[in-house]
Amino acid sequence: MKARKVKGLDPAGALADNAERIVHVRLGELWSFVPAALDPDEVTALHDMRIAAKRLRYILEVTAEACFGPYAGTALKRTKELQDLLGEIHDCDVQLPRVLGRLEELRSDAARQARARAKPKADDLDPRLAIRTAHSAEWRGLETLAVYLEARRALLFERFLELWTQLERDGFRARLDYAARERPPATPPVDPNSDADGARARLASGASA
Amino acid sequence: MAKAREIDGLRADLPFADAAAATVAVRAEELFEHAAGVLDITDIERVHDMRVATRRLRAVLEIYAPCFPRELFKPVLAEVKALADALGARRDPDVLLDRLAGLEDVLPKAARPGLEAFAAPAREEQARGNDVLEAALAEAERANLRARLAALAASATEPRVDAGVEAAPDGDGTERARADAIATAGAAPAEASSADGAPA
Repeated sequence: MKARKVKGLDPAGALADNAERIVHVRLGELWSFVPAALDPDEVTALHDMRIAAKRLRYILEVTAEACFGPYAGTALKRTKELQDLLGEIHDCDVQLPRVLGRLEELRSDAARQARARAKPKADDLDPRLAIRTAHSAEWRGLETLAVYLEARRALLFERFLELWTQLERDGFRARLDYAARERPPATPPVDPNSDADGARARLASGASA
Repeated sequence: MAKAREIDGLRADLPFADAAAATVAVRAEELFEHAAGVLDITDIERVHDMRVATRRLRAVLEIYAPCFPRELFKPVLAEVKALADALGARRDPDVLLDRLAGLEDVLPKAARPGLEAFAAPAREEQARGNDVLEAALAEAERANLRARLAALAASATEPRVDAGVEAAPDGDGTERARADAIATAGAAPAEASSADGAPA
């Protein structure tokens, strides 16, 4: 999924002002997948939403503490939770077709074996020829794996819906938008001549007092 | 997962370009700090940590894209992406095999042949992924990616004629490209596919 463009970024401008623009666009990008991603069958929308969450997470990771109001830190944690959860769902979406594909391969191979066991000119296939094929021991594990992945996906999707509802209820978007417009209080520069600042500076540089 | 290192001196009022220089320099160093032992398939956390480091680096490169001269930025970003892809080629089967091992511990013995039937091709994929990664690491070394990343980071604070200026409508292409970089900045990496689930 291609990222939305962020207009008006200025290398000479303040980090926080630029980051605010980026956060605003990334938030809109994340929300653009709702309501599509709330449908469990909309796999692509969910995958794209995960990428959008990742983009938002990374800009917050770099700037939340240094540039924004206090809610930005909370938003970073929530975004990470969302991205993690969507990642786990994505894993299921990637792995389940692979398991089903492997089952299909083995079944086709077993069918070829069963056919080969029958006489070439047989009128019909004796069902007993379909048992104990080379892969019969593998069915159970693969079927269990497929069931597990499908059920896990369903469960995780329910958790995603809950998490998303909670984010909406908490006013995540509006609060982060607001926090991105806030600026942390400026820290006064260190004065090496003051006792306290001098000690801190020496401590930071590893020098003894 | 390795925690991202703090960027010293990052402040709200710091010029974007200065923040770019400081952040990219640290994230680039982190990448190479995690390079040791990544080809060892018995310790999959090494690849994971290096992959996370490439994602963080790629993310900050894209966030700060407008601060860098395009002719330096574009090839470096492409190489970081290539390295990230190679790490992904190893990481995806790593994750799958790790999960299968976890399932093997809790499922009955009768399920094991099936799990093994799924694990066998994943192991082959892991071996191929390791070859891809080995080649990518060699290429990064050959192309001197580390030094070029350091140079790119430093370039953000070097004075440029076009610094901070929007592209002229009919510029010579450099300005146009720079405007494009300005407009697309802030984009973090997207993935084609992944079984990692692990956030970077």
